[in-house]
This record gives sequence, structure tokens and C-alpha cells, in this order.
Amino acid sequence: MKRLLYTLLLLLMVGTIQAQEGIDSLIDIDEVAIVGRRAMKQIGVQRTEFDAVALQEHIALSMADVLTYNSSIFVKSYGRATLSTVAFRGTSPSHTQVLWNGMKINSPMLGMTDFSMIPSYFIDEASLLHGSSSVSETGGGLGGAVKLATRPKEYEGFHLQFVQGIGSFSTFDEYLQLGYGNNRWQLSTRLVYATSPNDYKYVNRDKKLNIYDENHNIIDQYHPTERNRNGAFKDFHALQEIYYRLTDRDRLSLTGWYTGTNRELPMISTSYAENEQIENRQREETLRALLGWEHIATMGRIAAQAGYIHSWSAYDRRITGAGMSGEEAGSESNGLPDGTMEYSRNRQHTLYGNICGEYLPSERWLFSGEMTAYHHINRAVGKEEISNDGTQRLGLDKERTELTATATARWRATPWFGVGLTLREELYGEHFSPLIPALFLDGELIRGGKLVFKGSCSRNYRFPTLTDLYFQPGGNPNLRPEKGWSYDFGMDWRLSNPKALSFDGSLTWFDSHIEDWIMWYPKAMGYYTPANVKKVHSYGIEIESNLSWKPNSNWLMALHGSYAWTPSLNEGEPFSSADRSVGKQLPYVPEHSASATLRAGWRRWELNYKWCVYSERYALSSNGASITGTLDSYALSNISLARSFAFTWCDLSLRGAVNNLFNKEYVTVLSRPMPGINYEIFIGITPKWGKGRN
Amino acid sequence: MKRVLYALGWLLLATMSCQCSDGDNDNPNNPDPQTPDRALFVVNAGNYNASNASLTIYDPEGNGYDNEIFAKTNGYKLGDTAQSMSIHNGLGWVVVNNSHIIYAIDLKTLKEKGRITGINSPRYICFHSDEKAYVSAMYGDKLTIINPKNYSVTGTITVPKNTAITNATGSTEEMVLLGKYLYVTCWSYEKNIVKIDTTTDQVVGVVEVGIQPTSLIADRNGKLWTLCDGGYEGSPVGYEAPTLCRINPETMAVEARYTFAKGSYISKVRINGTGDQLYWLNNGALYSMEINDSSLPTSTKIEAEGYLYALTIDPKTNDIYVADAIDYQQAGIVYRYSASGQCICSFYAGVIPTEFCWNN
Repeated sequence: MKRLLYTLLLLLMVGTIQAQEGIDSLIDIDEVAIVGRRAMKQIGVQRTEFDAVALQEHIALSMADVLTYNSSIFVKSYGRATLSTVAFRGTSPSHTQVLWNGMKINSPMLGMTDFSMIPSYFIDEASLLHGSSSVSETGGGLGGAVKLATRPKEYEGFHLQFVQGIGSFSTFDEYLQLGYGNNRWQLSTRLVYATSPNDYKYVNRDKKLNIYDENHNIIDQYHPTERNRNGAFKDFHALQEIYYRLTDRDRLSLTGWYTGTNRELPMISTSYAENEQIENRQREETLRALLGWEHIATMGRIAAQAGYIHSWSAYDRRITGAGMSGEEAGSESNGLPDGTMEYSRNRQHTLYGNICGEYLPSERWLFSGEMTAYHHINRAVGKEEISNDGTQRLGLDKERTELTATATARWRATPWFGVGLTLREELYGEHFSPLIPALFLDGELIRGGKLVFKGSCSRNYRFPTLTDLYFQPGGNPNLRPEKGWSYDFGMDWRLSNPKALSFDGSLTWFDSHIEDWIMWYPKAMGYYTPANVKKVHSYGIEIESNLSWKPNSNWLMALHGSYAWTPSLNEGEPFSSADRSVGKQLPYVPEHSASATLRAGWRRWELNYKWCVYSERYALSSNGASITGTLDSYALSNISLARSFAFTWCDLSLRGAVNNLFNKEYVTVLSRPMPGINYEIFIGITPKWGKGRN
Repeated sequence: MKRVLYALGWLLLATMSCQCSDGDNDNPNNPDPQTPDRALFVVNAGNYNASNASLTIYDPEGNGYDNEIFAKTNGYKLGDTAQSMSIHNGLGWVVVNNSHIIYAIDLKTLKEKGRITGINSPRYICFHSDEKAYVSAMYGDKLTIINPKNYSVTGTITVPKNTAITNATGSTEEMVLLGKYLYVTCWSYEKNIVKIDTTTDQVVGVVEVGIQPTSLIADRNGKLWTLCDGGYEGSPVGYEAPTLCRINPETMAVEARYTFAKGSYISKVRINGTGDQLYWLNNGALYSMEINDSSLPTSTKIEAEGYLYALTIDPKTNDIYVADAIDYQQAGIVYRYSASGQCICSFYAGVIPTEFCWNN
């Protein structure tokens, strides 16, 4: 028993209990102060964590919102319930790998992840692994990785929570959580349903409407106030978790996550098509399932997972009316409605398997190894898929197996100095990556974890997606993997007065070079094709800091801030001597970004103020100001106020939120105006049964 | 005073260009852009869904130019994916494909005079008279008939579409008016050139010329020339070697066919002012031949840098203008060459210069 406790304590210190990683690290820091050791698994790792308050502030938030206001990474969004992508350190969204309970959920076809599809209420733990720090967890994260996880609750008996949200633009959000638990079983069901016509008003600065006299002469023009057209959405998400404790050392888990969305894609601000002429819709149904087993051994841990992802998505763009099919508009010929301009159906099956182990021969050494397999089956078809002879001509119909093996050794040479080495090998289809190394080190400059030096460097590769390689037309089977070197070093600090005040943070310098960057560009034939064309050098500074103050049991104040300076420069060969993009900031990458959150709690009241700012972004690779090629800088503020009530039979919560508090007109993507000030209220009820009632 | 400033502006700009391959002549700063009597307009498509289409004006006499002239003059964006521009009766008609709008602008003030909406995915406009013009569409087996005088849609003409493909929408592209007949290429997943009688607005002839006929011009003998891009591997419409075809517009027969290497990217057949010299782009390079030549040229017409994307010939001087979109994410560059292929000057236009339009 003593040995088991010793092992558990070691595991706690090295942060290897994956199930509690996020929580542990918060605890670890205090532990460090006591035992003088930092988590071995975090040697040299640059990580940003999000706490439960950020993740579950209210049910209308997606992970895109959480990342916007709680980190300095750039979230490119077309608005609520539309494509939202995340990019680290001046890289592209496909350079951000996303893990859900360890399984990669990036689209194997497109390489990126849509964070608007991830309700933050479904995520119990989230963290960012910047640059090299992602190599120990996944390959291809040239920018970094986002780790998302669900965790067993500690229910005793039944649990129920229901939250109703009502917001501007007739937006309704519903959340239901059902749970049951005892000392062996933990069951949880979470459901989210969100609907909205999302038809917010905005002044359209990109357009003018004319006022004519009787002879059709224009006598005046004005910017119209328009509604966001074609922006409606219906999103349904269900998350089922079952955890079973076989023994004190073994745990089984089964997790299933279903997403069903039906979203219109808003019209661009310069479209003069009438509303009723447009059908621009994206539908998706995705099921992700994971079966896991974890065993804590005397000197380590072993775990295995099997997973499956099925995803079906459909995109339809259709216009009816004059010039399309005249009197037959809306009729169907050859199976599709007339006026169909774009049509695609994608189906993806992914099989996943993973086995990993950790071995702690002593408190100075940690060895870990992992093998992962994915098998992707992708089929994408477009409008002209099938000629009359029945032959499939366009789209994608490919399978690919991806295997990775990772080995890591971490050595705490002295209580104040540690070093780690990860080696990774990947096989994508028939192509092996070279050996991918990552080196980590850290050392205490001031004992007790008050000031810690960290550094890492890594080589990394990202293989082209199936779409890059094989999509017809355009796919380029001769693409090379994108290759990167990444270095970062910096300081972590933590100053605390255990009674009231704590101040911690990190300052990191990073520098990375990516070669063979894949870019799609149009061919004369009217389609796009990818090529390895760019070489990018990004570097800069990331700062994160937390300040919290708890003067007494009634008050809590917490301030979180982050800032990133991210020059991300094209250093590729010029296309010709006329090419003015060399040496310039990549399009859509802000050079400066920052966010801050302020939380104040007093008894049962809670105030949240969130702020983010992005500097000007260029839409053109040559940078330079122009009327149509620059996106202005903007700062946004959101605020929410909540009050909880405890009754004998239930807990009740009320929250009011104001988004875009100062009614800022802004865009994050050209031609996609975002909503002005808008409001939401949330009412939550949690009935009490059994022990909870006491 | 305004006139003086205007003249000074153009003079200043004239001193800023006339380099054939550099990129310093980028900052046109004409505070009051107006078109000179003779001007070349460059239609810059911009990136799809980014609403960064724009219009550039260039003075071929003084070499001055100005970018984003529509937005600067009118105070709002031109729109998304501008495709073409035509001039009729002192107005420039700019077709903005993915904004589903056609603007008419005053050629002197560049101010909007009117607009036509309600046409899906318009591509080109061809004028028949002051009260009648035809508009082609990317996704549709229709030509739309408009009345330019009152900016209204007056009708549509259905053209045959490719029945060999499931779910084909049909497509109409470039047009030429010869006498009372209008000829139109059917490009996207199509193979035909269609002949329309403009007195009845009925289809009176169809000829299958090859896979995806794109551009269309008429020579001095009244013969039509088109380029068939040949499709691409896996295309449901097929994949063949691209061809340059001469068509007899009366009989609708293909009289001559010149075949390129399979896989070549062919686009933009254009003709000089006297109608006897053809020009086109092949894999980003410019080629040319006389209309009576019996075989395709083996060498390029000019030694231009980059990958050429758009082309026009000055109808008065036969100077050659070609545009390179560079990486399709920055302002493209336009090179001007003499008819003999000597570089005269260059200037940066907008994002993806795609078509040109001559005023006089």
C-alpha cells in the first residue's frame, strides 16, 4: 500500500495522471513550493491552461470564444456559428493540431478544425501547447496544439442541471446535463441545442443604395443598414460519458460526442442578390467515440484507447431567379435543384488506436512511449461528380493510414534542473517522416519555483492533407511535407502570499522557420491547386500573467492577461521580380494581439469582464494599405454579471451578458461584418437530491 | 484649378512609371481621378468572397494610372470577383460576378450612373443597341437580356447545355455580335458555341467546337476564333488537347483547328486592331500568329517575367498589355510591350487583374 501511495505521489508530481492533468498542474505549483520539485512532465513545456470558469462561463460559448478572450492566439471568425479557426505564432489554422481526449480531431481532408463546432460546456480541461511543446503529444503542430478533454465528475447519486439562454436576434441556447455516480460508476450526459436566425443589424460600409429621380438619375446614395442575411443556425451537440472503476488501479471509459449542425453561410457584404434568391447552407453530422482503459502500475502507468470518427458534411450553394433557370427556377433536373452552383458531400471515417505507457524507475527519471494509428477513409463528391457513363470523375475517394511512434525521456538531474528529449517517427501512407526530435530543459533560477528558466527546440513536419494531394481537380500528389524548426525559451514566475495574493506568469521568446509551406492558388482553368511555395519565419514574444487576490472568504479578484507580438514573415523565393510579398507579414496574421479577463466575486455575485485586441491585419501578401486590402485593428469588450441562489431543493443561477459592450463595428474576415452590441440572459437550475440536498 | 491639379497629377504619375520589371511605381496618388480621353481600364477580380475587386485606370499616352478608382470615387466597394467591363454610349459597364451586379459608370467622373441587379453570377455584357444588351452567366444555361437605358432585365434566352453530365448547370461566357447574330461560348463543363438571332432572340445554330471553349473574337474576315481549354484530367466533360478553332459564323462549321500539347493551360484569345494578328496565353506565356498562318508558333511573342494571366491589345497602336497576378494575394502587375515585343513600361494594378477594357 505504501508503495502504491509512493507511486501515486510520484505520478502526481510528474503530472502523468492524464485524467487530472489540468487540475494537477494547478495543485502542483503549490506542491512544488512544499517539496521543491516541479512536474517532470512539464519540463521545458510552454503551456497555457484554461480554468473551468473560463470554459464554462455560460452555455453560449464555443471554444473559439474561450480562446479569443483567454489567450493571445489569433481566432479568425466569420461570426457565431460560422467557421472559426485558430492559429498560433503566425502559422496557419492547419498548423494547429487539436486533440480531444488524446485523439486528433483535425479534419483529415482540410487539416483544420472549426472551433465554432466545439461548445465550451463540453470541455472540462483545455490547454494550449505552444510550438515545440506539442511534439510530445502530436505531430504536425507547426504552430502548436490545442488539448481538449472531458473528465469524470465526482457525482454521488443523481445530478441534473438545466440552463436556458435567451439572447438578441432570437437566439436560444439550451443546456441539459444528467449525471449519476457512485464509487465505481460515473455517468454523464450533456446536451446543447442552439438556434438563431442570427440576423443582426449592421451598417453596411461596403455598399451604397441609390435614390433616383423620376428619370432614373441618381440623386443620392447611402450606406444601408442591413441585417445579416442567411446567417441562421441550428446546432445540436450531445456528449455521453461512462466511466467505470474496475479496481483502484484500473479505469474504463467510453465517451461519445455527436454534433449535428445546420447552418446557413451569411452572404458577403457586397452581395446584391436578394435574400430569397440565395441558398447557402452547410450541414454536418459528426460522431466521435472513444473507448479507453487506464492502469496505474506500481512504477508507472499504461493506457490504451480505441476510437472512431464518422463525419458527414454537405454544402449547397444555390441561386434561383433571373438569369438562372427562369421559369423553371426551383425545379429539379438530373437530381439537383436547378440553380445549384456548388454542391459537395463529404464523408469521413476514421479509425483510431493508441497505446501509451509511462515508467518511473526513480523520482529522477520518467520514460514514456506512445504508438498511435489512424486510418482515414475519405470520400468527397461535387456537383459534376458523375458523368452519364457512371464514372466518378471529381472529388476525392482516398484512404490513408497514419502511424506514429513517440518516445520521451525526462531527467531531473538536480532538484532545480531538468531535461527532456522526445523522438517521434511518423508514417503517412507510404511516406516516413525523418526522425522528429524535440529537446526540452528547465531550471530554477530562484528556488521554490519562484523563477524558472524554460527552453525547447524541435524539428517538425506536417504532411499534406488528402485534399492537398488528391482532390480532383487541383490536388497535387507531388507535394512535399511542410517542415519546421522551432525554438523557444523564457521564464515562468510565481510569487504568492498563500493567504491572499498570487502573481504568476510567463514570458517566452519563440522563433520558428517553416519551409515548403503549402499554398493554394488559382489555375487558368478555373480551379485551385496547391504547391510548396513559401518559406516563413515567425518569431516574437508571448506573455501571460495571472494576478489573484482573495482578501477574505467573501471576496475574490482575478486578473488574467496575455499578449503576443508575432512578426510572421514570408521569406520564400519571389514569384518574379514584381513580387512584393517577400519580407512581409503573412496575410491575416496580426502582429500584436492581447486579451484580458477580470473576475470579481463577492459572496454569490460574480462579475466577468473580458477584453481582446488585435492589431491591423493585411489581406494582401504585399501588405500595404489599400481600401480593400486592410482590416482595421479592433478591441472588443464583453461583460457578464451572475448571481447564484441556494435553496433547499435546488441551486439557481442567473447571468446577464453584454457582448461587444461598446458596439464596435469590426470584421475579422474581409466582407463579413460582425454583430454590434448584443445581450444574453441565462437561467440555470440544479435540483438537489439525496446528499446534495443536505 | 481643379483641372490644373488633375493635369499635374497625371504628369506626376507619368514620371513614376515606365520601368518594365520593377515594382516602385506603386503609389498612384491622384486626388481627383478622372479618365483621360483615351484610357485603358483594368478589371481586377480580387479574391473570391473577399470583396476586394477593383478597377484601375491607365493613360496610355501619359502613362499615368490610378487604382481602386471605383471605391475612391464612389465611396463604396466595387464588390466581389469583378469579371469584365464593356463601354457603350459613354458609360462603362462593370460586371461584378459574385456580387451579382452590373454597375454603369460615367467614363469622365467615374461616378456610378446606375446598376442592374437580379442577374445571377454575371460574366460578360455585349451591347446590341442603346436599349438592348446581353449578359452571360457562369452558372446557367441562360443569357439575360437587359435594357441599358432603364437598367432593367427584359428577358432570357435558354441555350443548350451539356446533357452528357449529371447536374450540369450550363454556362455562357464571351460574346461577339456580327450583324444581327450574337455568338456565345459555353465554357464551364460545356463544348458549344451558340448562335442567336437578335431579332427574335432565338437560338438558331449550335456548333460543338471542343471541350470548354473560353474566349471568342472575330477577325477582319468576319470569322470567329475561340480557344478550347481541353478540360483537365478527371473532368466529367472530358480531357483532351486544347485547341484554337476558327469557325465560319454563317455555316457554324469549324474551318480550322490548331492543337496544343495536352495539359497546356490556354486562355484569352485576343486580336489586334486590324483584325489579322491573334494573341493568346499558353502556360502563362504570350504567343501570337497571323490569322492565315497554317501552324501554331513555336516560340513566345515576348520574354515576360512571371505567369501571365490577362491580355489585351491596344486597338489603335497594337501595343500588347499582359498582366501577372503574381501570387494572387497582392496587386498584380501589368506590362506594356510594343507590337514588336519591346517592353515599354509596367504598373501595379489590383488583385488578380483579369480583363481589360479600352475607352477609345
